[in-house]
Amino acid sequence: MENEENLVKMVNIRKWFGKVYALKGIDFEVKRAEVVGLLGDNGAGKSTLIKILSGYHALDEGEIFFEGEKVQISSPTQARRLGIETVYQEQALVPYMSIARNIFMGREPVRALGFINKKDMNTGSMDALSRIELHLRSADTVIEMLSGGERQGVAIARALHFKAKLVILDEPTIALSIKESKQVLEFIQQLRREGIAAIFITHNLYHAYPVAERFVVLNRGMKVADVRKEDVSIDTLSELIVKPPPQEA
Amino acid sequence: MTYFRNFFSNRASSVFLVFTVLFAFFSFFSPEHRFIRPENLGILMAEGSEFCIVVLGVGLLMICGEFDLSIGSILVFCSYIFIRLFQAGMNLFIVWLIVLVLGAAIGFLNGIITVKGYIPSFITTLGMMMFWRGITLLMSEGFAAAFDRELSPGFTSLLTGTVAKTVPVQAIWFVAIALLLGFLLHSHKFGNWVYATGGNLSAARAMGIRTDRVKIICFLIVGTLCGFVGMMQVVRVSSFFSRAGDGWELKAIAASVVGGTALMGGRGSMTGIFLGALIISIIENALVMLRITYFWTYMVFGFVIITSVILRTSIERSRLSR
Repeated sequence: MENEENLVKMVNIRKWFGKVYALKGIDFEVKRAEVVGLLGDNGAGKSTLIKILSGYHALDEGEIFFEGEKVQISSPTQARRLGIETVYQEQALVPYMSIARNIFMGREPVRALGFINKKDMNTGSMDALSRIELHLRSADTVIEMLSGGERQGVAIARALHFKAKLVILDEPTIALSIKESKQVLEFIQQLRREGIAAIFITHNLYHAYPVAERFVVLNRGMKVADVRKEDVSIDTLSELIVKPPPQEA
Repeated sequence: MTYFRNFFSNRASSVFLVFTVLFAFFSFFSPEHRFIRPENLGILMAEGSEFCIVVLGVGLLMICGEFDLSIGSILVFCSYIFIRLFQAGMNLFIVWLIVLVLGAAIGFLNGIITVKGYIPSFITTLGMMMFWRGITLLMSEGFAAAFDRELSPGFTSLLTGTVAKTVPVQAIWFVAIALLLGFLLHSHKFGNWVYATGGNLSAARAMGIRTDRVKIICFLIVGTLCGFVGMMQVVRVSSFFSRAGDGWELKAIAASVVGGTALMGGRGSMTGIFLGALIISIIENALVMLRITYFWTYMVFGFVIITSVILRTSIERSRLSR
């Protein structure tokens, strides 16, 4: 079958929110273990596109192929089952729960009758953290005690642990300090080393540029660029983001 | 050794501190140390356990982020149905089951309306509080009704007897239910869902936890406990009275908060709730022992609530700044 190298292939995706035409026929692919930077100004449609991929929104028209097979992604749980994990802006972490409990939230390892296997939960967590080279003293530390960068690390470690094939990062470095952002970008590099593909949505070109291999630029619901890093500069990318697109299809 | 360290770095340890201080204070300062005499401790355990059992449920519900203001009304309505079925001559064990299911059903109703109607639980249960007590008053016409303890000694002693002639069975029930809910909360996956639902609802949902279901189950537990305690109370007092459970809702929330439960949800422990319930109970009991007029009770409650929260918050803040 052609396109086996494509992990995800979205074809001609269209989406309306009432009268608002949010996605106007987008084609979007991600290869295995590839890091793609999804760029665009506010309202370009980046979040909408990846929310369709992660099961939050339903597409109105178009098709999605995952590992060569056509799929219907109708809920976040389904997306997760396929191996698509999302790391949210608000990190989807519970502040007063421990790292271990957060990582295994909803997927707790259990013994008989649903009682948590705390030992497995602990070792699994420390394992997941070490895979992205996030070194924390204990999996019992409460999330609230961690820095912004470390919290993102936990969210990414979670995605990693559950054998994600694709991790979608929605503005992962927003509101983080420079040092913390660097840490998160390291984690993303680590994902790639583990053979996991990533879609990295951001406003901050300077964060995306060192880490991504390819850039897709959306502008008012249309794809205006799909270029490899080697073929483009940061300045060109910023221009593409703000320039109004040609007339809609 | 780490067990002790974990214990004292626990939110519940400051509650334990407050409890110990109060217990020691009342034991020492009550005339003739009446507080700590067996007769009084017996009464405290028998009567106080009723309120304490209900608090266990209310605390659990608060951790998952919701409130139930209707607990007193569920209790009184269930006691009323209990006494009526008793008067109708039904087998008491069957009645017991029916009333428990009734309590569960009312709790379930609270839950369904709150989650499916997107109504804050505060409002739902406020309305329910008035509704169920209203129906009870209507049906009972405000009259009390007698319960004959002799009629079914087995049933009576199961709910209100004593073990080894000293420990009231109600206290055993309280400890057993606390242990059960404690295991559920701290060692079961459901407990993790409760903390997640209360701590960050959207996060819990994003990770596939069925938060509606979690909340409804918690409401259900509260309702069942109210039904249970309602019956226990009727048996102990040998009668139904239409003011049963009056004012319990705010006291229960206070007991949970004193016990370390956060109003916003997501934080708290069964140990803390257990101790918080005991603290409120011993205060009420001790104020009688100290011959302090009942009206002082509210002032003392207020003082203890505020002091224990300040104490806990300052312990936590000093730990965070370390």
